[in-house]
Amino acid sequence: MKFMGKKSKRERTQAIEGYVALSPWMFGFLFFYAIPILASLYLSFTQWTLVGSVKWIGFENYIRMFTRDPVFIDAATATGFFVLYSLPFKLVLGLMLALLLNMKLPGMNYFRTIFFLPAVISGVAVSLMWIWFLQPDTGVVNTLLRYVGISGPGWFWDINWALPSVAMMSIWKVGGAAIIYLAGLQNIPAHLYEAAAIDGASKWQQFWRITLPLLTPVLLFQLIIEMIDAFKIFTEAFVITQGGPLNRTYFFLYYFYEEAFRNFNMGYASALAIFLLIVIMSATALVKWWSNRWVYYEN
Amino acid sequence: MFKKTTKAIFSAILATPIALMALADDKVTITVWSMDGHDLGNEDTHRQVIAAFEAEHPNIKIDLTLLPESGLEDRMNTAIGAGGKLPDVFPLLSGEWAPIALDLSPYIEADPELSQDMYAEPFWRTRATFGDSVVALPTGIGANVVLYNKDVFDKAGVEYPTADWTTEDFIKKAVAVTDKANGVWGGDRPRDAYRAIWHNYDAQVYSDDSTTVEGYHNSPQSLAAYQWYWDLVHSDATPTKAEIDVLGTEGTGPVDLFIAGRLGMATLNQSHMLRALKEGVNFGMVPEPAGPSKDRHANAWSATPAIAGNSEHPQEAYEFLSFWAGMEGQYISMTTGLNMFPSIPALWKDHPYIDHPAIQTFRTTLDWPLVRDFDGTHLCWRAALRRVDEVYELIGLKAIERNEIKKALDKEVVVLQTALDDCVSRLGS
Repeated sequence: MKFMGKKSKRERTQAIEGYVALSPWMFGFLFFYAIPILASLYLSFTQWTLVGSVKWIGFENYIRMFTRDPVFIDAATATGFFVLYSLPFKLVLGLMLALLLNMKLPGMNYFRTIFFLPAVISGVAVSLMWIWFLQPDTGVVNTLLRYVGISGPGWFWDINWALPSVAMMSIWKVGGAAIIYLAGLQNIPAHLYEAAAIDGASKWQQFWRITLPLLTPVLLFQLIIEMIDAFKIFTEAFVITQGGPLNRTYFFLYYFYEEAFRNFNMGYASALAIFLLIVIMSATALVKWWSNRWVYYEN
Repeated sequence: MFKKTTKAIFSAILATPIALMALADDKVTITVWSMDGHDLGNEDTHRQVIAAFEAEHPNIKIDLTLLPESGLEDRMNTAIGAGGKLPDVFPLLSGEWAPIALDLSPYIEADPELSQDMYAEPFWRTRATFGDSVVALPTGIGANVVLYNKDVFDKAGVEYPTADWTTEDFIKKAVAVTDKANGVWGGDRPRDAYRAIWHNYDAQVYSDDSTTVEGYHNSPQSLAAYQWYWDLVHSDATPTKAEIDVLGTEGTGPVDLFIAGRLGMATLNQSHMLRALKEGVNFGMVPEPAGPSKDRHANAWSATPAIAGNSEHPQEAYEFLSFWAGMEGQYISMTTGLNMFPSIPALWKDHPYIDHPAIQTFRTTLDWPLVRDFDGTHLCWRAALRRVDEVYELIGLKAIERNEIKKALDKEVVVLQTALDDCVSRLGS
């Protein structure tokens, strides 16, 4: 018999065992996430060139960011447009691909593997490959376009096409998302489709009334993950465009990498990082709030 | 008996590492970070220098790590920022690292075999010193020159460039030599604004005291340089950025395109020249073309290894550094691998290719004012560079008319001034 609120020895032991089991993750979170974020927050209020001492300057970095830094506007614009260009396509195309991969046809496992491959190839290797694909004069894409009488654009080297080119590269990796959708599709009970078919529902009605609603939790997950990934775009700017032409691909992560490690402006780079963190957290919270209107949970 | 034997064996096992540790304590290990190439020599040259040093200094062991340039920069910045252990010896790639380098002045004063006078003065001036301190020692030197492919010129029936040629000659010859049908360009473009050609127009991005951009970036001299660049781009005699990104050689000038015979002229350096020589390319060499300035400028540099200020073995590190950058080490670098050009004039006569006319051309440029005289003393140049590239980039993209350049430069002055003021407050003028 135990008193109310007082745990038994067994319960205490079980609790301790639980915390011990959690401790590796907790240490990892503490030392690789929480402490670095707090350190960045502190540094964002300082001026520090790596080799000198840290000098407290208050909100000066944030004031500069919003009032005196034109490159901040370029970076925010490039990142914002990249999220807007790539995210809807990745969500829709990922779902369409998953529907195709869900079909019961021979050899489908091979297709699933092929479509998933882009998601696991190193970002640097993919970037170098796409430089060759999209080279305006000798690249594969423009050569094929010329065969059908179309003069292809300058792609990464064109002011108007650089950002869409990077978005296209990102969308090319949609196979990874498709596999997640596929898992969701295969969890939808088959008897629902059978019942709908008996009631005379068309394929489109089955998709709209059964598949999509039951897939909304997976859609929400993908939306949040893909949105966060889109905000953190970096490799393509680093390897291919170096932020150009004319800062059209000067993404936020690349901007604060340059500020920190090329311009030795660690304080300002930390302020930029904190700003991006706030933006991503706010966007995620907004999506989560919005999801109450359209995500269907069976329970 | 068995117990005694067992005891003896265990004692020997326990004593061996202790003995080894005792022996190891006599040897000092110096960690060295360096790069393969980049006027420091290839890996084989590094190993030969180390082997020669260790033979003369049996109490010092060198632990070498070779890294690519961008990797070394990031690794050093991370180590500096984290307050972690720096290598004892490292190449001083960035002026911003100078404050953490050891002041070598007392060591040099006490060293009977090394003195400032041994070195070519421009490289001591622009690379080895920081304020009143000596923070590095120059090793291999390099400079930009223009290599021209004689076979390409002969095929086009165009006379070779001469040493006194001008920027206008450069464009004319590039156009005359270009053969688009056979994939041959006449020349290449400067990789940035405000390199040697800009200085040959007396163009300067901001004032010497790092306070004023107005009247410098948009001066008549800067305008003339940018207009020359516009003329070069619109001559269609040079590969575009898209073409260079795919076909060019990463991290340096388009040496592969030049050796393949696809560039009539290329702005390269003397190590590229040696490579072209070894690959049997029929080439000549001239300095970068002259502009209206009465002085011609050279974009020349020297690799400059330094010692970390917090090195635990500064004396041993200096012994290695002074060997590497001294007569013996530079002789090895000069006669092996990439045949680095030494920063010690007394060694020049022993360079394997010293009699080649191209090397003579290279040597003349070393006496000119250096671009580094401005760049090296104005750390904020890099902070302003990003903003400068807008007009340079617009021209390269053919997105601006010639008569719009002045207006664009005037507009950019405001942005540059803000960036400069911000940078000076951090890094100083």
